[in-house]
Amino acid sequence: MDYKNIEQLLERYWRGETSLEEENQLRDFFTSGEVPAALLLYKELFVYQKEQQIEGLGADFDARMLSKVESPIVKAKHLSLVSRFKPLFRAAAVVTVFLMLGNVAQRSLFHNDALDYNYNNYRDTYDDPNVAYKKVSSALLILSDEISKSNNQNSADSIYKAATDSVMNE
Amino acid sequence: MQEISFRKDILPLKDKLFRLALRITLNRAEAEDVVQDTMLRVWSRRDEWSKFDSIEAFCMTVARNLAIDRSQKMDAKNLELTPEMEQASDASGPYNLLVQTERLNLIHQLINKLPEKQRTVIQLRDIEGKNYKEIAKVMGLTEEQVKVTLFRARQKVKEQYLAIDGYGL
Repeated sequence: MDYKNIEQLLERYWRGETSLEEENQLRDFFTSGEVPAALLLYKELFVYQKEQQIEGLGADFDARMLSKVESPIVKAKHLSLVSRFKPLFRAAAVVTVFLMLGNVAQRSLFHNDALDYNYNNYRDTYDDPNVAYKKVSSALLILSDEISKSNNQNSADSIYKAATDSVMNE
Repeated sequence: MQEISFRKDILPLKDKLFRLALRITLNRAEAEDVVQDTMLRVWSRRDEWSKFDSIEAFCMTVARNLAIDRSQKMDAKNLELTPEMEQASDASGPYNLLVQTERLNLIHQLINKLPEKQRTVIQLRDIEGKNYKEIAKVMGLTEEQVKVTLFRARQKVKEQYLAIDGYGL
């Protein structure tokens, strides 16, 4: 190797006259291969320059940076009608649960108001059997009246129908 | 003009920006903050990206300014030896290893003791391998001023290095 050339390059390097290529050449010379004793003194300067080139930040920096930069971008999210009303559904469900609970409480607390289907528990309404008889018969009369009213209507229809049928047959 | 993407064009500059910020602040945590602030600042001006002819130079300029701000706030705390300087590459024996490590440390200190402008020029030229035009753009100087600054920086490093080494370190 021509060390003279390197010495000249080094001289020009100190004077700031070397090109980028020549500076690369110097770094390559000093960092790879044998360096003669006379030039050994300058070896570390170029080793240092080369070492500093690999200094840097880790991949975790990227992640942190991207999270800072890209978080303000709001992504468009598709909202269906159902998902939009979901909170309302929830509220409605809560209200329903409360109403049902109230209903159950009301029923269990005011149990007496419920209809009693056990006839054995029924008690007499009137003391005098005659009054009771009259009341019942009047009630039955009203009932039969109503029934006969609707029956009459029906029979009148059927008589009319039979009559018209016989007339048509003749 | 090609579309500039944060992920593809700006995020990969993180190491370069970090090295520059580290050279100016001389503190790893501060340098990392500087890179982060730089990127946030550049991100906030994303509408103007297409107007810059070099997004890299713009990022470097922002990072340098932020780093200078921070280091001024950090008082005159000027030197910090970083642990990565202790790993040496190819030495044949313990003595050589020691000498090599010492010398690397020495160079690290000498460069970091330079005034900020000279330090930055050394960083951009000798470590990042940038041409005068790019450096001038990042630092807002003329190419001639960059050359002069680089010359002074290299001369100072050389003088002090030889002086200290001459005493048989």
